[in-house]
Amino acid sequence: MRKNRRAKYFFIFPAIIWVLAFTIFPLIYSLGLSFFRVRLGRPAQFVGLNNFARIFSDYKVGNSLKVTLLYVAITVSIQLILGTLIALLFNQEMRGKNIFRALLILPIFCTPVAVGYLGLTIFYEEGGPINSILMSLFNLKIPWLSSRIWAWVAVLLLDIWQWTPFCFLVILAGLQSLPEEIYDAAYIDSSSEWEIFRKITFPMIQPVIMVVLLLRLIESFKIFDVVYSLTGGGPGTATEVYSLYTYRTGMKFFDLGYASALGYLLLAIVIVIINLLFRQIREVYE
Amino acid sequence: MKKVSILVALVVASLFIASFAFADITVTNASGESITFTDEEIGSIVASGEKPFEGVTVTVTVNEGGPKGGISGPLYEWRDAWEQLTGAKLNIVEIPYAEHYPKVMTDLYTGTGQFDAFMIGSDWMGELIAGEYIIPVDDYIKDPRFPKWDPDALPPSIRTLYTWGDKWYGVLNDCDGQVLYYRKDILNNPDYRAQFKEKYGYEYNVPPKTWDELYDISEFFNGWDWNDDGEADSGIVMHLKVGAQGMYHYVSLSAPFCILPGEKVDKYHNVYWFDPEDMTPLINDEGHVKALDFQLKLAKTGPDAQVAWSLGEAWDYFLRGKAIFCFSWGDLGSLAQDEARSKVKGKIGCSILPGCYEVYDRSQGQFVKFDEPVVWGNTTGGSWHGVISVLSKNPEATYHLLAFHATNKISLWNAQRGWTGVDPGVKFHFLPPYGTASLDDYVANGFHPEDAKEYLDAYYENFFATNIVPYLRIPGGNEYWVALDRHLSEAYTGALSAQEALDRVARDWEDITNRYGREEQLTVYQESIGYQPE
Repeated sequence: MRKNRRAKYFFIFPAIIWVLAFTIFPLIYSLGLSFFRVRLGRPAQFVGLNNFARIFSDYKVGNSLKVTLLYVAITVSIQLILGTLIALLFNQEMRGKNIFRALLILPIFCTPVAVGYLGLTIFYEEGGPINSILMSLFNLKIPWLSSRIWAWVAVLLLDIWQWTPFCFLVILAGLQSLPEEIYDAAYIDSSSEWEIFRKITFPMIQPVIMVVLLLRLIESFKIFDVVYSLTGGGPGTATEVYSLYTYRTGMKFFDLGYASALGYLLLAIVIVIINLLFRQIREVYE
Repeated sequence: MKKVSILVALVVASLFIASFAFADITVTNASGESITFTDEEIGSIVASGEKPFEGVTVTVTVNEGGPKGGISGPLYEWRDAWEQLTGAKLNIVEIPYAEHYPKVMTDLYTGTGQFDAFMIGSDWMGELIAGEYIIPVDDYIKDPRFPKWDPDALPPSIRTLYTWGDKWYGVLNDCDGQVLYYRKDILNNPDYRAQFKEKYGYEYNVPPKTWDELYDISEFFNGWDWNDDGEADSGIVMHLKVGAQGMYHYVSLSAPFCILPGEKVDKYHNVYWFDPEDMTPLINDEGHVKALDFQLKLAKTGPDAQVAWSLGEAWDYFLRGKAIFCFSWGDLGSLAQDEARSKVKGKIGCSILPGCYEVYDRSQGQFVKFDEPVVWGNTTGGSWHGVISVLSKNPEATYHLLAFHATNKISLWNAQRGWTGVDPGVKFHFLPPYGTASLDDYVANGFHPEDAKEYLDAYYENFFATNIVPYLRIPGGNEYWVALDRHLSEAYTGALSAQEALDRVARDWEDITNRYGREEQLTVYQESIGYQPE
């Protein structure tokens, strides 16, 4: 029995080290940094809460937060809706389903930075593939990367393209785990597919959708790669998301104390949103 | 008789030995081309045949570009040759442009010391000097052991970028400055000239003398097919993408609007960035606002997509013959000679950038008029060159490498080939009477003779101009540039007016200055522009 206990610690030990070294330590260290004015190569200077106070007078924070929140709201909503619809489609009997499913999930495996650079080619305004097709069909040229709005659309499209398959895959798994008997019984009472979806399917897969929603929300707040490689935050500051601004502050300008404070603000925002969501979920189930 | 025979034999033997001791040394690059150095040119380390750097590896950072890329290309081109001469190894570390500065500074700040040298942009110099992160090379320059290069061949404008005070830190490589490229064939077309005169009421100069004149020409040629390729063409093309060096266009263009020329640097004369007495940003004064308003107007005579274009795309547009004007670096002039990607070989003219008749005078708070256009030469850009890290364990081998690239022969070879990114700027790159290069050499390397003359004369005129735009070389230089870049981009995309955008730049610059310490910044700034407090 005692030997078993020791074995338990032996297996748990690497995980503890991992969490301490790569989660707890950086968290505490960056919290410490956020109270200092830090410039590499010079002694750090304690500034108390100045870095946090500075956030409120930094107009660039407001802009990047607005861009990020809008981005999260739009991409996550569309990914969930599209993912659910495609999952419902693939939950039917159809020929070549396995092949289509395999093809559909391919974007998940792409590196986001590579997707961004791919976007540079696809959305190239003078002779890029999309504009070439649009020009030949409708004599239309879209300013994908030079217009503030269209650059936004380009970033959104790439993200939706990459992450909708993830939503689809998880929701499909949820759909396929639903018991057949319930549907057999439901079809006796109603023949309306919409009603069956609304009253049976949706409530039953709601927990899965909530999990997908949570994961996508957390990931979307951290959006960086696609924006960095596709638009660099431009044109102007139209697509400068919060992570990009934090990265520039810390890693380009070496203003590490302020960058840590910015990081903590994002953490606080995500925690609040996730908690609100959890509360919502609890209310639904209680 | 016997003595005479012995004497003759000794003389012959001495000459024989001497012929080996002072034999010229020939090196061959990756393209298979050879260059022969005398002992004096290559230095005694190589001439002696010893290989004191055997087993040493020199690690150099450079902007990502590959074996045929700008600035990185020459390092690959001459790597084998240098390694064979010295026995050392060269490790080239390519870093994307946007990441290069942070990577280098991280190495220096943390004392890691994984790099021996950096091919830096000149705007990094203030930070590197303030932190004492690089070493002066004056002693090495005088040392006959190393390859010989000529610091006096650099024009004062470029020399300023390679030095700090009276010490040399940089070793000759690239000379950046923006000049005006224009389609000489189109502008000299008599029909077009007549149409222009009818519309605007005057005959234009080729090249235009002022920015206003350039605007009129650009507007005239914009939006119709003047080159018979079946598509509408543009007046001008610029690269204005945020994070892709677009702000350099603004600096070159704006200088004659807002720098009041004078005999020396004082509060009101020859200053561009900050008030040299208190570091107040000048970027949002009336001269700058007028310049940016002008640039926004000028941008409308170019393709809309240029707001999202980097250098390559803008250059490509000009090289495909789609625009009348492009003001850019020396790379464009030599790339125009590459017929695989250029349709404008033999058709281009080059000149120093136009000027303005009216310049903003801060002392009077108004624009003042001049009889002749006020023209400013510029060293806009990186003038990318090698400096040696204070953390290098092999500074001699490192300097040897940099000096090898700076020798007249290799420097000229690089400057005559567009893909190297090494742009002309020193005396031996220019044609007589300004320099010692031969037109035949340029022609043999693919230049159209007329293009070569225009191109080299324009650069000579630019670098040796009476007025040179001051260069920003203070700690946090990169941060100041980024702030300028992002807010200019907001103006280019129409999100902000010129005044709003420049007000934001000024506000950001004040923040940066305060964070770095106003007094420290002021001292470095004054030193960097040669301001002497009274």
